[in-house]
Amino acid sequence: MSEGPLAGLRVLDLSQGVTGPFATKYYADFGADVVKVERPDGGDPARRMGPFPHDVPHAETSGMFLHLNTGKRSVTLDLRHATARAILLRLVADADLVVESFRPGTLGRLGVGPEAIAAANPRAALLQISNFGQSGPYRDFAADDLLLYAMGGVMQITGDPEREPIKLGLYMPLFFAGVVAAGMGLAAAWGARRDGVGERVDCSIQEALAASMDRGAPNLMAYQYSGTLMSTRERAVRMNALPAGTYPVADGYVSIATQIAWWPRLCRTIGRPDLIDDERIASRLYDPLLAEEIDALVYPWLLSHTKQEAMALAQAEGWPVSALNTMDDVFRDPHFRARNFFTTLDHPYAGALEYPGFALKLHGTPGTLHRAPLLGEHTVEVLCGVGYARADVVRLRQLGVV
Amino acid sequence: MGAERGLPLAGVRVLAQGIVWAGPFATVLLSDLGAEVIEVESIQHLNPTRTNFRHIPQQLLDGRVGTYYLNRDGSEGFWNRQAWFNFAKRGCKSVTLNLESERGCSLFYELVQHADAFIENNAAAVVERLKLDYATLTQLNPRLIMVRFPGFGIEGPYRHYKGYGTIMEAVAGHTLLRGYEGSDPSQTPNSLHGDPNAGANVAFALIAALFARERTGAGQLIDLSQSEAVLQQEAYAFMDYAMNARVQGHWGNASPAFAPYGPYPASGDDRWVAIAADSDAAFCALCACLELPGLATDARFADAAARYAHRGELDPLIAARTREHDARALMQQLQAAGVPATELLHQDEMTEDPHLRAREFFQPVAHPEAGTHLQPGPLARFARQPLVPVRGPAPTLGQHNQDVLCGLLGLSRAEYDQLVADEIIGTVYREDAHA
Repeated sequence: MSEGPLAGLRVLDLSQGVTGPFATKYYADFGADVVKVERPDGGDPARRMGPFPHDVPHAETSGMFLHLNTGKRSVTLDLRHATARAILLRLVADADLVVESFRPGTLGRLGVGPEAIAAANPRAALLQISNFGQSGPYRDFAADDLLLYAMGGVMQITGDPEREPIKLGLYMPLFFAGVVAAGMGLAAAWGARRDGVGERVDCSIQEALAASMDRGAPNLMAYQYSGTLMSTRERAVRMNALPAGTYPVADGYVSIATQIAWWPRLCRTIGRPDLIDDERIASRLYDPLLAEEIDALVYPWLLSHTKQEAMALAQAEGWPVSALNTMDDVFRDPHFRARNFFTTLDHPYAGALEYPGFALKLHGTPGTLHRAPLLGEHTVEVLCGVGYARADVVRLRQLGVV
Repeated sequence: MGAERGLPLAGVRVLAQGIVWAGPFATVLLSDLGAEVIEVESIQHLNPTRTNFRHIPQQLLDGRVGTYYLNRDGSEGFWNRQAWFNFAKRGCKSVTLNLESERGCSLFYELVQHADAFIENNAAAVVERLKLDYATLTQLNPRLIMVRFPGFGIEGPYRHYKGYGTIMEAVAGHTLLRGYEGSDPSQTPNSLHGDPNAGANVAFALIAALFARERTGAGQLIDLSQSEAVLQQEAYAFMDYAMNARVQGHWGNASPAFAPYGPYPASGDDRWVAIAADSDAAFCALCACLELPGLATDARFADAAARYAHRGELDPLIAARTREHDARALMQQLQAAGVPATELLHQDEMTEDPHLRAREFFQPVAHPEAGTHLQPGPLARFARQPLVPVRGPAPTLGQHNQDVLCGLLGLSRAEYDQLVADEIIGTVYREDAHA
């Protein structure tokens, strides 16, 4: 077990779903004490998202929830009760950073909005994550990953030009916004600690996607600068040269990226060094008229190698080719294994499972992965930590507050 | 610039060699959050984010590559007029140092002694070759935080592998999860999701390491694998494999839970409305808005499970009606009726979007050589701070050489002039160095 960089940081997490919990997972995995507030009736909706072991739904075994909430402590509070709101403000008083992802205005209507939070703890930073931000005409619109990707502007340019636009993998835009939000919230906590005064951050998932470097901001800027979009809907995101995109190999597919200057690397990889100085191709690798000719050069080589072979041989020459891995390839991949990415955690209901581990390796303060909490698992210890007696908690439970 | 004092990372000095797409998303986030980011560049090797096509063929300028540059102008000084460099490095400083020269390297070492952090995503071997590795730098400044993020990280068998987000996401399995349902993977468009995702991870890690340093007094080395950062987000497929040994395939635009779901055609050219009918109530409201009263009572679509099973039959019926509607008007109508739905924004119209306008998402930034343009952002909206893109434009190449080398490191005018004469520093990309 190793202390993470955020040891000592106290986070009160009112968020649910994907984006907020993914942000606070970063805090928990890296050592912060994250107290997650859930509704007593069913808790975080991610507990219903699945996937489930053997496809049997259970509130404690949703794969999404188990991954998104590693290392947190769970407290149940029914915020419709005034007593629950009073408890919430006592928890706020003990926090350095409060995170929430309700629909804008919800907390305020319950009487525990930003002003009440600031009054309860003027030193706490507040990270507010929402679909479209805390202001503007679409503030109250309902949305999910598909709809937000659509409103980020990038979906319209993703996909086959002859077909409907296509989104990224399930929930990916929400995960991405979660990482952005994690940085914003932590920066706010850093500033609050320095200044002795809390600050409020308004994180709009739509805006994080619109300004992303994944063809978001670059395309918006290209349009400002040249009057034309850089990317439109197309089969492959090309750098500036061919071949580019997804190509078949003997046992599956590979992804290829090429720059004009890398022609010699390609030639050496496919065993055609004689073509390195063929100026007719070398100087016009960007020309779509050459696409068929270039494909004809690389196809036979690709089809005579496996994806692992093609990747290793091309990369040895410095030509970016990579295997399109399936999830079972991923679990066997020698690189991820060598980096100890997979982490086994035991859980009272889900059992021992391999989880995604740390992509960020902090050599000095690595942090530790702990399993996700059961619903309300830490209600007693957290409430006792802010001054309630065990007998109080029993009464609160009878009242339906916790 | 007075307001900068209050931005949360004010006073944090970051040296950056943040290239292509991953590095830039880290620098724009850190800069928007208030850090002083000094991009360490070179007149011998142009920062790839400035996009180097010296003697750019006209065919490229006429096509996609031309859009990178102001008015498709690839002439001298193009490196100061690159569209996304001027977004990604806004508010940053630029210093040029020839790190392959002894003098350039020793000046970098001096900068390291004045810095809180150094972030870089050069190819893994570059740092060791130039002796910019953590073991060397921590001797000079034990408080230094160094974040390294070549595509596959700095350890493991693929550490020297090259690539962009498209390459990294393939190995992580993302490409095979997000193609069109039932289609050949060679038809899967790739994405660069992995790049900005890595940049966001870097910004987070750097701030986390500031917290650690406050306690321990020491900096540290941080290694990020862009590929693993993507893999961590494929949780739905990852956990299904871990739990059930099931290998998921392309999801396309499908939801694992709801139907109807996805982008449906709207009136006009390439107009779409995305709909997520996430409850019985939403489905009934959708049918009412689209004037399809028969659907809600059709046995094939009577409950959520039936709708999911028959979504192939349901989608064309919905699409036949959405086709008659304006995307934005239908979004408004459906949202008012409680149906999650949005139009698909077109990027060339986003500055006119009423919501983003109301939020002042696009802000004018005046650049000394490129002029004034709207930039997307801000990536940080703090209640007591003005919106941040006004912090300043991106730097021209070597714009802050004097500011940093004389102001921060205390070089004399004569020493500075000598550096210029020796081409250790400069403001013009040296073509001959690349020949």
